[in-house]
Amino acid sequence: MARLRTLVQTLVAFGTNAYLLFPFGGSIIYQGPLKAVCHPGLNCYSCPGALLSCPVGAFQNFMASIRFYTPGAVPHIGAIVIGYLGFIGAIVGRLPCGWLCPFGFIQDLLHKIPSRKLSLWAPLRWVKYGVLALLVIILPLFLVDSSTGLGHPWFCKLLCPSGTLLGALPMILLKPSLWATLGFYFWNKMTILVILVILAIFVSRPFCRILCPLGAFYSLFSRMTLVQLEFIEGNCVECGSCSRKCPMGVKPQSEYDSKECIMCLKCLDACQFRALQFGIRRPPAPQKKRTVSPL
Amino acid sequence: MPKTAVWLIIIFTLLFILGINTGDIEYLNNLGNTICLSCIGVG
Repeated sequence: MARLRTLVQTLVAFGTNAYLLFPFGGSIIYQGPLKAVCHPGLNCYSCPGALLSCPVGAFQNFMASIRFYTPGAVPHIGAIVIGYLGFIGAIVGRLPCGWLCPFGFIQDLLHKIPSRKLSLWAPLRWVKYGVLALLVIILPLFLVDSSTGLGHPWFCKLLCPSGTLLGALPMILLKPSLWATLGFYFWNKMTILVILVILAIFVSRPFCRILCPLGAFYSLFSRMTLVQLEFIEGNCVECGSCSRKCPMGVKPQSEYDSKECIMCLKCLDACQFRALQFGIRRPPAPQKKRTVSPL
Repeated sequence: MPKTAVWLIIIFTLLFILGINTGDIEYLNNLGNTICLSCIGVG
């Protein structure tokens, strides 16, 4: 399963960033019909190779441009993005974080670098809900630039390390004229990126666990997803091998319906006693079986 | 089949269709075809 996941992550990361004509085309980025489709993971649409749009960036821009008082204008509330992400979330929860997100894949690779591995202080996982509410919804919606009458995508502007790594760095290399315009926001994001890259070597998926607003959104569905990772209590010998393998610090035997589970299924591989099963959600049978979905 | 999940799938599908019919695709396409200066850190 681990090999399959790595293969899927590699194919998705390269497949959705496969626009190789950027050095030769008129524009540095891909401009075509596929940009009307959002990536299920966090993937900056200003990446020169990106074929799809970033759902978080798109949603912020929808929020930033809602102006209810504009006469005659139809406000775009981002229904297409909410519908798209909600549809995915309702079926598989945070599975895209574990299998499809390019930035999650990069963190997985960084964590393979041999070093002392550290655990994360659990309450930090709540920060991402604040990021989702404040930087993705509230500030873009209410903090309006008086000169343009629009809000700004504050998550992209202040925090997004995927934007820095996949968008900003390739872009300033390809377009050196941008150097002169870089200021506080760029260096702030570069600092965050460097911290997260170093942290990812020692702590598994720090960005996903602490800051990612997309993961926060998907996690809202954790108790209601169509598929689930079911914990069969009778088969569990409490060896703890599933907890040790979990990249998100989840303890499947005690944390039912964890919002942190990215359905990477490493725990399924680790369990030799078939105490975990992946499939369509079933009503829990008291005493014998309890749901862990999405683990 | 969990009823909640099925209802959520239906609701979000309808929301997605609503987005398509209110011109969200064009908006999304225009957005994606523009270089995001905020992502780059210009400003």
